[in-house]
Amino acid sequence: MQIKTKSDRFIWIDIMVTLLTLELMAYFYYGVRAVVLASVCAVVSVIAELVCLRFMHRKFTADDLGCVSDALILSLMLPAVLDFRIAAIACVFSVVAAKNIFGGRLNMIFSPAAAAYVFLYTSWKNQLLMFSEPHVRTGVFEKASSLVSSASNSFNINGKMNVTDFEILLGSVSGPAGAVSILLLAVAAVVLLFRRSISAGAFIGSISASALMALIVPASVTRAASVKYTLVTNMVLFASVYIIADRRIAPKREYYAFFYGFFLAACSYILVITTAKENAIVIMSILFTPVALGFKNLEKHIELVQIEEQKEAEMAAAAVTDGEEAADEE
Amino acid sequence: MKNRKTAVFDGLLGDNTVLSALMVISPVIVCGNTLENAIALIYAFSAITFFSVVLSSFVPRRLPYAAKIIFYAVIASIVYIPVKTAAREFFPEVVTRVGIYFPLLAVNSLIVVQTEAKFFRMKRGAMIGSLVFCILGFDAVMLITAFIRELLAYGTICGRLVDADTLISGLALPFGGFIFLGLLCGLYRKVRSAVGHDSDNTGGDGNVSGN
Amino acid sequence: MFLVTELLSLLATNLILTQALGTSTLFIAAGNKKNLLRTAIAISVFTSVGSGAAYIINRLLPDGLSDLTLLFYTLIIGIIYVLLLTALYFIGSESFGNTRKYVHVSAFNCAVMGTLFTVTERADTYPQLNTFFNFVLSGIEAGAGFILAAFILTAAYRKLNSAKVPASFRGFPAMLVYLGLISMAVYALR
Repeated sequence: MQIKTKSDRFIWIDIMVTLLTLELMAYFYYGVRAVVLASVCAVVSVIAELVCLRFMHRKFTADDLGCVSDALILSLMLPAVLDFRIAAIACVFSVVAAKNIFGGRLNMIFSPAAAAYVFLYTSWKNQLLMFSEPHVRTGVFEKASSLVSSASNSFNINGKMNVTDFEILLGSVSGPAGAVSILLLAVAAVVLLFRRSISAGAFIGSISASALMALIVPASVTRAASVKYTLVTNMVLFASVYIIADRRIAPKREYYAFFYGFFLAACSYILVITTAKENAIVIMSILFTPVALGFKNLEKHIELVQIEEQKEAEMAAAAVTDGEEAADEE
Repeated sequence: MKNRKTAVFDGLLGDNTVLSALMVISPVIVCGNTLENAIALIYAFSAITFFSVVLSSFVPRRLPYAAKIIFYAVIASIVYIPVKTAAREFFPEVVTRVGIYFPLLAVNSLIVVQTEAKFFRMKRGAMIGSLVFCILGFDAVMLITAFIRELLAYGTICGRLVDADTLISGLALPFGGFIFLGLLCGLYRKVRSAVGHDSDNTGGDGNVSGN
Repeated sequence: MFLVTELLSLLATNLILTQALGTSTLFIAAGNKKNLLRTAIAISVFTSVGSGAAYIINRLLPDGLSDLTLLFYTLIIGIIYVLLLTALYFIGSESFGNTRKYVHVSAFNCAVMGTLFTVTERADTYPQLNTFFNFVLSGIEAGAGFILAAFILTAAYRKLNSAKVPASFRGFPAMLVYLGLISMAVYALR
């Protein structure tokens, strides 16, 4: 089943609305610093996009604003106290190396936000994985006085989180500025699914694989706790909505997208329980790019075969009609 | 058709060994992250390649292709021994740091592929000229890559600290080398097409020949 | 679960993605599925048989003559090269003209020679790996790693050579950046 193509601009607006809502939540917990970080990311991305398009002799259109949503996705995965320069470098990297080198929005291969995140992970891991506590507001140009590791890290190591379910739902736990607001993310996922702005197959595949793996090979004392914590930590929900189910990256056909999301999430769960790797799902999304491309190649091949079959059928039908007409004339 | 004089210089600019033909890229990607490494590798690559190709040019042409290639590789492996001994004197730390990439220079494409495909089809004088420019092509790319990567990744130039406060440590790693070389390669093509060296500039598959 | 961890470790020890060994050979091979499979098979033969022979040479060569290692490895590869060509000639002399080019491409390159040196280096660091079986196994692993990297590149081949990619970056530069990004994710796994 292939869902009718929806305009890229409408998809972008839907995604932006949900991202801005998450950004509002980030403002609530971390103050103006989170908003400034997101703005820096957005502005740098737009400038980088403009420069790249200029080099490619293309005009900047409304469709090219996709870089803003990628910048917001990235900023929501970062600690609110991250150095602005580092965030800016990551944005330039995402726009130039992960997107426009391959032809930009017309020929997307990687999720720019995921690529930029992994880039930060490999170059500034310490800064990336240390967070300020929720409700601790740091001034725009101040350095945070005390930083803590994320709640995901504590789950990966101890198999439990020392926070209430209510706090988890509202996102009042240490972690990336926007990726921990579980209730809001769940609402965003439902809205985007109903509006068909994300790949349902990839999203459902990812969530079901995470839940299933957590049930079969529990990472906590009880299976229920394992499933619960697996879904809310390590940016599983956030990445499932904005990275894995990204329509530009995931396979078009829903059942291929399901398997893509399913195996991606299953592999990242295994990585989390074997190596305690934080936010493994984002790293895995880059490693699964060839799988998504493989599925897309298969889809293209199937489409070509179907077109050929249709043509042959039409030609055969035309031949039959001609034969009948000839017989009538005789 | 290119004239012979231009063809001799091609290895450096028009048809750069690394950026155009993508030969000998592994040392650039992995070890081209500091100027110290780069200088040691430039020395080793230049010495091994130059002497190996020149000595290989005396191997009889009548031999079967496979036999000739084995001879060339064996000659390079023999040339490698004194080069390594000298390198241990001049760059003792770098030789250890560079590790397996040092001996791998002896099986580079200029020796095992380009000898038959390009150099030995030329007269000896032209061959030596072309070889020198091919070697210089590698050396130039190695130096540029190492300089920029060292500056951005470690904030140093030839081991001396410079005033850089945001360092991109990933650039010193192999993946940084891949991405940086990809960008440099694209930039090189852009410049080459801008100066009219490559009128069509279609990209795609060029002449890649091993290593 | 075992399969996934094995696959991840194959990625994490992949010679192309972590050490850039044999990248250009990969670029040649990825252009055509038939080329890819045959080159990968030829490289696997060289790496596995070569690694076994490298183990024997390492045992026989005195420590003081370590500079001769390269020469002996070259001779090993040379012998395998000749034997493989001879075998191909006798197996199918008609198709020999087509198949020999894969052996030519695979014999002396960084992928093969790099494997022999990497396996030896690893055995020096971890003495428990210094067995004939482990050398051959590492050689096979290197061949499998090459195939895996080739599939990774083949999946994106059409997109990387698409007309939508800027002309200056189409083909090799885009391939390098693509492999770089995958290599970056592999590094993040460590």
